[in-house]
Amino acid sequence: MVEIRIHGRGGQGGVTLAKLIATSRFLQHQSVQAFGLYAAERSGAPVQAFCRFDDEVITNRNLIYEPDHVVVLDPTLVGPTIVGGLKPGGWILLNTEKEPGAFTGDFPHNRVATVDATGIARAHGLGTRSVPIVNTALAGAVGRILGFPLEEMLAALAHLGFGGGNVNAASDAYAAVAMVDAAEPAAPGDGRPKAVRFDRQPGFLTGAGGARPTVATGKWASEQPKRQQYVPPCNHACPAGNDVRGFLQALAEDRTDDALEILLRTTPFPSVCGRVCPAPCMAVCNRVALDEAVNVREMERFAGDHGKVSLVPAERRDERVAVIGSGPAGLAAAYHLALFGYGVTLYEGGSSLGGLLRTGIPEFRLPHETLDREVARILDLGVEAVTGVFIDRERLLSIARTHDAVFVATGLQELRSLRLGVGDDDLVLQGIDFLDQVHEGVAKRLDGEDVVVVGGGNTAMDAARSAVRLGAASVRIVYRRTRAEMPAIREEIEEALEEGVTMDFLAQPMAIQRMAQADGDLGEQHLVCRRMELGEPDASGRRSPVELPGSDYSLACHKVILALGQSPDLSVFPEGTEVREGTKLLGLLETPVYAVGDLATGDGTVAAAIGSGRRSAFHIHQTLTGDVVLTGEEARVRSDVHVWHDEVITADALRLHLFERQPAEAGDPISLGKRQTTFEEIHQGLATPAEAKRCLSCGVCNECDLCVTYCPEGVLKRVGHDLVFDYAYCKGCGICVTECPRNVVFMSHL
Amino acid sequence: MALDIVTGNHAAGHALCVAGEANRNARGAACGIYPITPQTEIVERVAGYAFTKGKVVPVESEHSAMAVTIGASVSGARAFTASSSNGLAYMFENVMVAGFYRLPIVMAAVNRTLGPPWNIWVDQGDTLALRDFPWVQLYASDNQEVHDLTLLAFRMAEDHRILLPVMVCMDGFVVSHTQGETDLATQEQADRFLPELDLPHRLDDANPRAIGGMVWPDATVSHRMDIREAMERVPGVYDECRAAFAGVFGREPGGVLDAYRCGDADTVLVASATIALTTRRVVDRRRAAGEKVGMVKMRMFRPFPEAALREACASAQRVGVLDRDYAAGVGGIWWQDARAAFQGHRPGLVLQDYIVGVGGGDVTPALVDGILDDLGGRDVAGPPHWADMKPATEVDQ
Repeated sequence: MVEIRIHGRGGQGGVTLAKLIATSRFLQHQSVQAFGLYAAERSGAPVQAFCRFDDEVITNRNLIYEPDHVVVLDPTLVGPTIVGGLKPGGWILLNTEKEPGAFTGDFPHNRVATVDATGIARAHGLGTRSVPIVNTALAGAVGRILGFPLEEMLAALAHLGFGGGNVNAASDAYAAVAMVDAAEPAAPGDGRPKAVRFDRQPGFLTGAGGARPTVATGKWASEQPKRQQYVPPCNHACPAGNDVRGFLQALAEDRTDDALEILLRTTPFPSVCGRVCPAPCMAVCNRVALDEAVNVREMERFAGDHGKVSLVPAERRDERVAVIGSGPAGLAAAYHLALFGYGVTLYEGGSSLGGLLRTGIPEFRLPHETLDREVARILDLGVEAVTGVFIDRERLLSIARTHDAVFVATGLQELRSLRLGVGDDDLVLQGIDFLDQVHEGVAKRLDGEDVVVVGGGNTAMDAARSAVRLGAASVRIVYRRTRAEMPAIREEIEEALEEGVTMDFLAQPMAIQRMAQADGDLGEQHLVCRRMELGEPDASGRRSPVELPGSDYSLACHKVILALGQSPDLSVFPEGTEVREGTKLLGLLETPVYAVGDLATGDGTVAAAIGSGRRSAFHIHQTLTGDVVLTGEEARVRSDVHVWHDEVITADALRLHLFERQPAEAGDPISLGKRQTTFEEIHQGLATPAEAKRCLSCGVCNECDLCVTYCPEGVLKRVGHDLVFDYAYCKGCGICVTECPRNVVFMSHL
Repeated sequence: MALDIVTGNHAAGHALCVAGEANRNARGAACGIYPITPQTEIVERVAGYAFTKGKVVPVESEHSAMAVTIGASVSGARAFTASSSNGLAYMFENVMVAGFYRLPIVMAAVNRTLGPPWNIWVDQGDTLALRDFPWVQLYASDNQEVHDLTLLAFRMAEDHRILLPVMVCMDGFVVSHTQGETDLATQEQADRFLPELDLPHRLDDANPRAIGGMVWPDATVSHRMDIREAMERVPGVYDECRAAFAGVFGREPGGVLDAYRCGDADTVLVASATIALTTRRVVDRRRAAGEKVGMVKMRMFRPFPEAALREACASAQRVGVLDRDYAAGVGGIWWQDARAAFQGHRPGLVLQDYIVGVGGGDVTPALVDGILDDLGGRDVAGPPHWADMKPATEVDQ
């Protein structure tokens, strides 16, 4: 009887090799056996397989302790133990590129054969590049060293249905195997093997049990998990650069103060933005792929309204910085500069701070007391505010000479207009001016009047809705494109419609006419409008409206409010100055002068203004001190991440099936009746931050610890905030990766 | 002849399938299945077989698998299933029910250690634990025996003198997962060997009735006596089936036990399954050295062949029973039944229990040698001896 022991790693086909050898002998009418030794191994673990063949019927049902020959599928397994019990003079067949002579020193009493079965397997496309299947090649080599004709090995392959490249591999190996004789004769054997008896082992009553810790099963792995992190889409989309995911996760854990602290690293206006931001973060929230976006806006409001944080500015610096304009960009710049320790003087041409936050956004969206609270937080940092001072070019230069840096954040002062022909002075007014009157409390009531508002942006919506509240008999918006192109916040448009504002789309005001009366009275005013259709896209990418001749119609009206958009007033700068965000203007001076906010970008949102002010403040701080300033995700606060991705993670990379569908919490507005007659704040805010629990924490570990729970081996642990892998015992099963809902663990090939 | 190199699982699965197919002109074949290491390949083969008339139902547990198999059998289909270890334990209630319903179900039982602690290797504790139930238990030593006994089991179980389920047991991995040359029955041979199943108490929509409902003690005792009488007929019917098998296949499966070189033996070892093969090799070596030793390979465990065992050991002064199992508080299970068999018959016999290979340890010739050496040194039997633990830690029960 011949006994062969085969050493391989799980997945390499050692058991099948045993069967191939046995089959070749079975087909020659011998009695055969082939079997593997199975335990709890996974692929990659060392595995033994055995075969026997004999002319006599085999009745030996034991393992093979003294093989006649040994075959090794994996070169990394070569060592003294693999030849345990090998009879002197027997073959050792190794899958290796080396020549047999390289091993005769290790195995002096045995015949040594080598063949590059891995190379042959790869050449014939057997298995994969990283896990080639070497057994069919080795079957050919075994046949050669044992003196069987190649045909008999090929017959075994055919009997088991292994065709194609396997046949070539076996043939190549049969021809290629290199053989040398035993270097030295062997000592005679020492008689019958002794019985192996076991030692008593401690049981689980004493805490023992399970796999023996001395076996470092991590060596079985061909890949092991590592940590990665992606950019969440909300963070990427936030114009202010907030760590949206970060503050949401803090709220999800009922840490409202921490949530506010995270927001205050980038924005001084969480309560403001929590009311007025168009929330581009919500538009890209991955949760939309499951049910609906997380109501981030309401959550930012919650943190702003309920969190408590004491801000302590850095030690006071010598440098003095001037900020011109107290809109959100200027205030945000002042806030960050004050936190850095700079002495900041804030100049405002109006009588109160806030810019359009105060004068342009009505109180039913943003109450003044909310704005005052957040402005006070900035002033409490030591910012000196000077109101009622308009800065012209001459004053700007003078300020530049007496400060270490100047930020100009005057926004968009120029209001676009329409030529509508003759009309009463108070018939046509700019929306911005109208809203300013509303803010001052001096806007005239509009009871019984028909009001037309021209435009499709937030100013148009605010003006229209303010007109409703001032008692207008009707309020109609006229917009030259369709609802889909309106730049106003979606919710604002919906709320305006709910409040009874009507909207004429694809209509352009052309002129104001009065219908002369028979008695000489000039009569009612009419706004003549012309119908439009959408043509080719313009520079903004939106399709341009094109007049439809002969489509004019009239709207009776007592007031026409223009909200056609704004553009920057650059007269404060010398002629020919090019204004871009952060541009160092007025190069003749040593003092850096920067344009920030709408003045530089024309973006038109509060969040963008905040981001602009923040980035510019960070930039000047880095310029003046050389310090690099990082916030939130940029700071890479996690220390257990191995790979940082700069890409935004999309919904298809998450395991959404691990989450239950749940609609977003929206909160109820106050009654329609109140909305139409008062300037009371429409939205009351949510009572709890429970909505934040819907945040999926896309691409960033939030310590849900599902991976720790599901690791079958217990080799994953949470230590503080870090996920720690015990690589000595991790077999690379990949369950942690499969169970992670947010793709922060990946398998790394070893 | 259809000789091929296959595993024990393949052999068992093949036998179940051709047996089921042989009933295609009657009520066909049907069963419930559930996988467990090391028998999964059996139910996989059954699930993948294209029965001309049959239904295989994969279910959520072994208990349900046997429930479905019972339902299949009582409707007259040839029914079978497979299990091991804790899965078999989960099946417990319905294993018992199958026997009490007198259903000719055949089960391939691949012996695997019961856990915890977890263990996938061979140990007979799982099937021996079912010894109180009305099932015939047969133990095979190699692939051919698994195949042959499985086919034979259907014929015996379905014989109207028996009508009891039969489990055919094989060692997990050592037989189930070991490739070896095996002659696999052709469908034609199976058709010839297995008549169509005619179940006398078959439930039939055309003649609706109920069986197994509540009865008084007198009917229960009568039911148990029916079972007792069927069990008494098993050895005789078994031998008839062996002869019928030989008529079709040209080879005869072994009897309830094989007495090997026992005629003049003064020491006899009793073993089953693959340990029996190893024991036989040791006996041959010892005989060659002049010792008078023999061995008994047990093939049938239920009903326990008491008389045949006594006869095989007639000349022995010392008998060692090898138990790859342990019944808590008592000792080896084969030994217990052997003790009962010799009760009142051989007062001076040294009948010693050797617990060996529990949990799947490889029972090597060296270990069997050690057992023979120990047995030879005894004049009186002692408590069960744990033969594969080091002597310094010898444990009494």
